[in-house]
Amino acid sequence: MTPGDAPLFAARGVVKHYRLGKVPVPALRGVDVEVGRGEALALAGPSGSGKTTLLNLFGGLDVPDAGTVLLDGRDLGGMGEGERTLLRRHQLGFVFQTFNLVPVLSARENVEYPLWIAGTPARERRERAEAALAAVGLTARGEHRPDQLSGGERQRVAIARALVHRPLAILADEPTGNLDSINGQLVLDLLLRCNAETGATVVIATHDPAVLARLPRRVRLRDGAVISDERGLAS
Amino acid sequence: MRWVLMALRNLTRNRRRTLISLLVVATGAVALLLTSGFVVFNFRGLETALVHGGLGHLEVAAKSSAGPGQMDRPVTDALTDWRALRSRLEALPDVSAVGANVHLMGMASTPAGKSASFVGVGVEPDREGAMGFNTRLRAGEPLPQALPAEGDDVAILAQGLAATLGAKTGDVVTLLALTPDGSLNALDVRVAGIFTSGVQDLDTRFVKLHLASAQRLLQTESVSDLLVMLRDEVPLERGQGAVEHLVAGHAPPLAVVDWRARAPFYDQVRNLYRGIFWFLGTVILVLVVLSASNTLLMAVLERTRELGTLRAIGTSRPQLAAIVLLEALWLGVLGGALGCLLGWLATLGINAMHLQMPPPPGAVDPIDVELALVPAAFAATVALMLVVLTVAATIPIARATRLRVAEALTHV
Repeated sequence: MTPGDAPLFAARGVVKHYRLGKVPVPALRGVDVEVGRGEALALAGPSGSGKTTLLNLFGGLDVPDAGTVLLDGRDLGGMGEGERTLLRRHQLGFVFQTFNLVPVLSARENVEYPLWIAGTPARERRERAEAALAAVGLTARGEHRPDQLSGGERQRVAIARALVHRPLAILADEPTGNLDSINGQLVLDLLLRCNAETGATVVIATHDPAVLARLPRRVRLRDGAVISDERGLAS
Repeated sequence: MRWVLMALRNLTRNRRRTLISLLVVATGAVALLLTSGFVVFNFRGLETALVHGGLGHLEVAAKSSAGPGQMDRPVTDALTDWRALRSRLEALPDVSAVGANVHLMGMASTPAGKSASFVGVGVEPDREGAMGFNTRLRAGEPLPQALPAEGDDVAILAQGLAATLGAKTGDVVTLLALTPDGSLNALDVRVAGIFTSGVQDLDTRFVKLHLASAQRLLQTESVSDLLVMLRDEVPLERGQGAVEHLVAGHAPPLAVVDWRARAPFYDQVRNLYRGIFWFLGTVILVLVVLSASNTLLMAVLERTRELGTLRAIGTSRPQLAAIVLLEALWLGVLGGALGCLLGWLATLGINAMHLQMPPPPGAVDPIDVELALVPAAFAATVALMLVVLTVAATIPIARATRLRVAEALTHV
């Protein structure tokens, strides 16, 4: 495999347990998955299947108990917390089911936030935030606080926040889970457009059939194991 | 700047809790300000009472009788040239006035046959006036300023001694004392007035008379010491240095003693008040720390998912710590400022009430409750609140920065 063909994400023999009281509960039982650059795929499965756990491991939000998770060839489990933080800051974007915007910041400030913490100069920060808001169709709502926005608008702000720093990948955990079907489709459109236009890899953890139907690859998990890896649009 | 504003906005999220926290911090600040105002007022009051009650700022006395721990000042040959020395001292630019004293002790008796031991001081009334000394008269008149003619000597008695002798103004009392050469001499004095020294023990045996009368009783031309009052703006150390320079080389050698060395109980009182202040202050600050820490911790716990999100999208642990710390510092600044405002108003209110406290042990008069307004104390209180809130933020910061991101994102 040439360097250009190397996967952006690679999970190899990944095992992860959580503890329920004193009882270890397996979340992933030896998962092997590779995600190429510029891919758009779904991690599909019912609740408890391990899709969010795998997404968190791809995002460096957690580390595996066994096995390795590689991002761009680097072992996330071998990194320190500070190194993983910088990696998330510069190379990854996150979208959550519950939007997770900072309530005391306006939409524009929320979008600027990743650039704040990266020390981007104010003028560039503002221009890029405006462009990101424009990309999600929320230029006019920039000064509104999250509680003044609808659910769909909040998720679009979250997408703008995820793409404003031009990440290598956007990791979305049930991004349509709290939205009606129209807003869900709109959000999915934005993620896929981002994938197509910027080349950012998009990984979506979901069990929404409407989302799965539109993604060209679906990795299905059940009880912490990959049960299928389907490529091509679902018929 | 954006972090600072973000922290301020976070405080507005739960306004009731923030208000309670601000009131806790402000109450702590008020308590500190009122306590420190009371302590400072007492320090100043005691200093004024001592310096203007007869000690002056500095004392010039024979080195042989003014060593460490020596409190008695017998009339000595060291100060036979006291008039010339007084003139030279008065010429110093740092000095506002100088007065000579003769210290004496002996037996006082009345024609009715009552007698009591006394300690006394002969003073120059006109110079005492120039030095701002105040005599708290209870009856009669102060010592006349004019030099008393022989046979026309007067004295004022402390109220306890007057009561023991059964003497009142206008009565004649005979003072009996040993002269420096060891012989016994007596002097009839007319009681011009009754006064209080402010100290119960001293009031039972204290007498003041004119310097000339005291010298007449002791049959001497010398004095025990010279008291020096410095100008208001002159620091004690500087004034002492100037006086020491002037008397250097005097034969026999002289000592220059500051008023605090002659009133050791002043430092004892200071230390006592300081101890009380630090104890109260510590209790107050601990309460503020516990309360503010609880508030900040609740704010962190309530925002677990939000803080997890911030970590997820790349906020470092130090940046997250800064967010929590800035919220704490805002509480400190705003609470401290509110406390200063309330403390200032409370100080004015209490002073306007003219409250009095009972006399402390050994004292004669009740104490006016008055609180000093010290600008430095206000600034120090705000600074202290910043330190206190920083301490209070320690546990919440630790909690916020140790969050496991993946778990925090699922926190409900």
